[in-house]
Amino acid sequence: MVDDDAVPGPEETLRLIEEQRAATVRRLKGDPLLFYAPWGTAWLIGFTAFFLHYGLDGRPYAPISQGQALAVLMAAQIVAGGVAALGIVRASRLTRGESTAKGAMFGYAWCAGMLLMGIIASRMSPQLPPAEATLIWAGMSMLVVAVLYMAGGAIWLDWRMFFAGVWVAAVNALGVLLGIGWHALLTAVLLGGGFIVMSLWLRRRG
Amino acid sequence: MTAHQELPELDPVIHAQARLRVVAALNTLGGGDELAFPALKELLGMTAGNLSVHLSKLEDAGYVRITKTHRGRTPVTYVSLTKRGRLAFEDYTKAIRALLDASGGIT
Repeated sequence: MVDDDAVPGPEETLRLIEEQRAATVRRLKGDPLLFYAPWGTAWLIGFTAFFLHYGLDGRPYAPISQGQALAVLMAAQIVAGGVAALGIVRASRLTRGESTAKGAMFGYAWCAGMLLMGIIASRMSPQLPPAEATLIWAGMSMLVVAVLYMAGGAIWLDWRMFFAGVWVAAVNALGVLLGIGWHALLTAVLLGGGFIVMSLWLRRRG
Repeated sequence: MTAHQELPELDPVIHAQARLRVVAALNTLGGGDELAFPALKELLGMTAGNLSVHLSKLEDAGYVRITKTHRGRTPVTYVSLTKRGRLAFEDYTKAIRALLDASGGIT
């Protein structure tokens, strides 16, 4: 039994402390696979559908209607949101206190941001040609994502999360400037693929 | 370990492998946070009975706060490090580092 067995030498002790610290942080933070990969997958699938619909020169690459592409993206995002929420709830059941409150406020900020974005975009998009209307939806939703990832980095003092937000902002800005076809392509590959790679990398590093 | 004069004394409450791991785990929490007992148990791979014994020793020393409450109808126990416990852990790691420096200096 590991009762009062005295701690070994100082070197071993420091290693023991560090191991316990790392294991605890890993456990309490939740699995990075649940935080980044679902969004990456949703964007990869959803924006690929948009890319195939719009193409780079205005001609579609596959017979997918705009409505179908939107449905694919929305469905994928709902699944992603569900998986991410599950990860957050599972991690937050372990503790109680200030960090749970932080997590809850952050979650509500996502809902509020996405809701407001939806209200603004649905008011503006009927005035616009279809390609620009889609760009309003896509660009503004990635704006909310970018800002909230950066804010999350600030809340949890997590530079990786902050830079994930910076990355989303940069790709989004470039895509909006280039137009809907490019925006869909860049978002699918660099953000969708990027988030999947990031989650695997974070998981390997532990 | 080679004896050396002026070596710092190690806090006997923390200087046992199981309790050291408890304190190291709790020290990662933010100041206003508490960890649920089952989560701590699973994290340390200890039995509930064994963990309880160590927690009460830490509680007696004033290093750990144990809160028993209910979530719905199920009783839940939360554990957190007190300010005193945090300071003691800080002192303990400082002392260990000093020991390491001292033993490194001899060879």
